[in-house]
Amino acid sequence: METLNPQQVARLHDHLIRTCPNAALIDELLDHLACEVEHYMWIGLPFESAMDKALLEVNAGVVRELRQTYQRELGLRGSRLEKASKDDIVFEFRNKAYGAYALRQAYPQNLRNATIMTLSLCMLLMAVMHMVGHGTFSYFSSWGAVWLTGLAGITFVGFNWHLHQEGTQTLNLH
Amino acid sequence: MYQFLYPMEQTNSEFLRGTLKTIVLNLLANRERMYGYEITQAVKERTQGQLLLTFGALYPILHKLEQEGLLMTESVEVDGRTRKYYALTPSGTETAQQKVSEFERFVEMMRSLLQSPTLALTK
Repeated sequence: METLNPQQVARLHDHLIRTCPNAALIDELLDHLACEVEHYMWIGLPFESAMDKALLEVNAGVVRELRQTYQRELGLRGSRLEKASKDDIVFEFRNKAYGAYALRQAYPQNLRNATIMTLSLCMLLMAVMHMVGHGTFSYFSSWGAVWLTGLAGITFVGFNWHLHQEGTQTLNLH
Repeated sequence: MYQFLYPMEQTNSEFLRGTLKTIVLNLLANRERMYGYEITQAVKERTQGQLLLTFGALYPILHKLEQEGLLMTESVEVDGRTRKYYALTPSGTETAQQKVSEFERFVEMMRSLLQSPTLALTK
């Protein structure tokens, strides 16, 4: 029996990411399809036509049917539903790995960071303009305090952003 | 999913929907553990290719049975991809036996139901 090489498996995975309704299902469907493609290749088809033949099964109709079955049979229930956020409900049978779920999850944090960043930059700008206008600057005046607060805000946002980046990198590694 | 099938296969899939759990549980009762594709192939082989189980029908059933605690799963890395094996839990083994005997009784009943008119005619 022939086995698919990593590139061929990656192409199947690519196709599934685009059509599959459920991220938890992707690994399993990938193995299923890969087995099917290997079977077709074993009876003599080249990879391309074997893949086309196997993917005939994964059309929009089947995917829709699969999603409906899952919603009917395995929906969020009981305590899991109580704990679920709106995003969890919207994305329950959709592909969370595609990116939109992560973007929505990170939205409140991004909004907070952006607001702090804007306020901080304004404070720094005001402090600089005051310094240029008056020609003097002291950390112990009220404008010095404005400068320091702005600086602290920028540092906070930068640190937060760095932590978030590290978090997503470790997620991607898994 | 069924609209592209021929009429005969359409009736088959109608019967199949009610008995899918029994089929899957019974197949797993005879084997230690199986993965999805293996199950579809086993069904195909045993029926000489007359009964085709699509993954769209199979996986929801497998996951439902897993949720009900009748199956346990084990993921193994094979050829660079993850393969999920299914095996019966103790309560799954019990349910499998129960389902099979229930279904056998049902088949018996159907047979007597379908045969009785002809018997009556021959008398």
